[in-house]
Amino acid sequence: MMLLKVAWKNIWRNKVRSFVVITALALGLWAGVFAGAFVKGMMQSKVKALVHTEISHMQIHEPGFRDEYQGTYVIENNDAVIQSLQQDERVEAVSERLISMGMLQSARKTSALRLVGVNPELEKKVSNLHEMLVEGSYFESKVKRPIVLSQKTAEEYDIKMGSKVVFTMQDIHGDMKSAVYKVVGIYKTSNNMYDKMTAFVPFELIQKMYDLDQGSHEIAVWLGDHENAEPVAADYSEKFKELEVLPWLDLSLGLRMMTSAIDIYLYVIVGIILAALLFVVLNTMLMAVLERTREIGMLMAIGMDKARVFRMIMYETIFMSMVGVPIGLFISWLSVTVFGQTGIDLSAAEYENLGYASIIYPRMDFQSYVVVAIMVLVMACVASLYPAIKALRLKPVEAIRKV
Amino acid sequence: MEVIKTKNLTKTYDDGAVPVHAVNDVSLSIAEGEFTAVVGPSGSGKTTLLNIIGGLDRPTSGSVQVDGQELRSLNENQLIKFRLDNIGFVFQAYNLIPVLTAKENTEFIMLLQGVNEKKRHERVMQLLEEVGIQEQANKRPGEMSGGQQQRVAVARALASQPKFVLADEPTANLDSKSADNLLDLMLKLNKEENVTFIFSTHDQRVIDRARRVITLVDGAISSDITK
Repeated sequence: MMLLKVAWKNIWRNKVRSFVVITALALGLWAGVFAGAFVKGMMQSKVKALVHTEISHMQIHEPGFRDEYQGTYVIENNDAVIQSLQQDERVEAVSERLISMGMLQSARKTSALRLVGVNPELEKKVSNLHEMLVEGSYFESKVKRPIVLSQKTAEEYDIKMGSKVVFTMQDIHGDMKSAVYKVVGIYKTSNNMYDKMTAFVPFELIQKMYDLDQGSHEIAVWLGDHENAEPVAADYSEKFKELEVLPWLDLSLGLRMMTSAIDIYLYVIVGIILAALLFVVLNTMLMAVLERTREIGMLMAIGMDKARVFRMIMYETIFMSMVGVPIGLFISWLSVTVFGQTGIDLSAAEYENLGYASIIYPRMDFQSYVVVAIMVLVMACVASLYPAIKALRLKPVEAIRKV
Repeated sequence: MEVIKTKNLTKTYDDGAVPVHAVNDVSLSIAEGEFTAVVGPSGSGKTTLLNIIGGLDRPTSGSVQVDGQELRSLNENQLIKFRLDNIGFVFQAYNLIPVLTAKENTEFIMLLQGVNEKKRHERVMQLLEEVGIQEQANKRPGEMSGGQQQRVAVARALASQPKFVLADEPTANLDSKSADNLLDLMLKLNKEENVTFIFSTHDQRVIDRARRVITLVDGAISSDITK
């Protein structure tokens, strides 16, 4: 107990130095946590945007469709699949889509575009794109040939609400078909690349252009619990062996890697910061030991064994960490909570061009706070090992002579 | 009864071009209850001799026995434990723990010995009263005079109930009055409680009070006078 008391009092001998270490520990921890939370928030917003807006929880296609986007890859037993999904309690909503890669033409520009035919009411249940309209509505007008396209596309093609555009595509017989559409809605997501490439029309219009009577290219599924995506996908793969059934993790390149690597990013960032912090603590504790050479020598002379000397130095470091870590955790929690609500606006950095949201909401779970706090404590103990060993090597007779 | 016995004790420093015999063939015995001063000019080997007797330094050759225990046979950890239980130290620069009060400094050594709290408290209060600083019990070293600090050092040295107390130039940093008071205190403890004191000193006041004076010249005993 007395040893703990001595160690505690020792850290307040040189208040400025202890303050520097405590501040370094607190700021280091905050920097690590906040940087990790930022990356985590960025990744999560990307994943969330992908899942909620673009891909939903699960998709079903004819094998090969996602490689070639050819109109002929129509899901033949479409109705049977949809019926099966609708009877599944794990499934909340199903929406079929017809997709065509074609050319969109305005007075200003002609370029490639992916036109997605959707049933608006069903689509609203598997995607939140209808909530991202900046102008117009999501197929609520009585226009005969409506199209909803992105703000980015509108800018590039120099088109406005009510403008007419021509979409040209190949039908399932290989013949070219063109149709005029009138812009009824303009949307904007956090992914510029998606926005530039994607526009929507009612399902039956594109069905007619394809000259199809039935079937779809893509069945998007929204589940009650996104965690169920893999088992549900596995079940439907088994049930409809001729189809490609993919959970959300496998629907976008790098998504699986990104979600599994979020925590690794966090710990790598914290690790790098802690490595720098280690030298701050080591340097300070070494100074503290060297300054007290004579005193430590005296303690050993009067009978304090090496284990106690070692423990005393370790306690001092742990005490400083125990002051710095809660402060750092509190600042981290506060800043993550505040910025988690308000977001950090990075629109100037044009992250949207890379598919990331322009406003990042830092996120951090309780477990990560605990892991980071333990990492800091372990680092502080490792940093104090050398000073403690240095103290053990002191010879009392020589140490006492030092002035 | 002999507390300390050295035989042909030698300590040679071989770091420079010429070996230096800090302690040269010293054989002596010190009995329980002695009040002994080891004197001599600077560099005569007083402190080295006390360090060896106190188990802080090892001799190059010869033997040193404390209460029948040959110190050369003890390893470093055993020596630390031996010092804790058998030897009290009073240093020239007091060497108290600056963050602890007088009471805590005195108590610290008993804590290392594992003495229970009740006994520690009783012994500390008794010692602080004996050395006359019970009123300073809750003051830290920085709040006390040099003389008061050295009294705490004496109390600390006695706290472990050692076989003897080694005092290395205990009066060197004190003014005359404080030095006289401290020496009177040590003499009183020696007489009343039979505490064995061994000093290394230049101080004539210590020499005057000592009942035995061992003079070292170039590491060897040149005279050993019991008054």
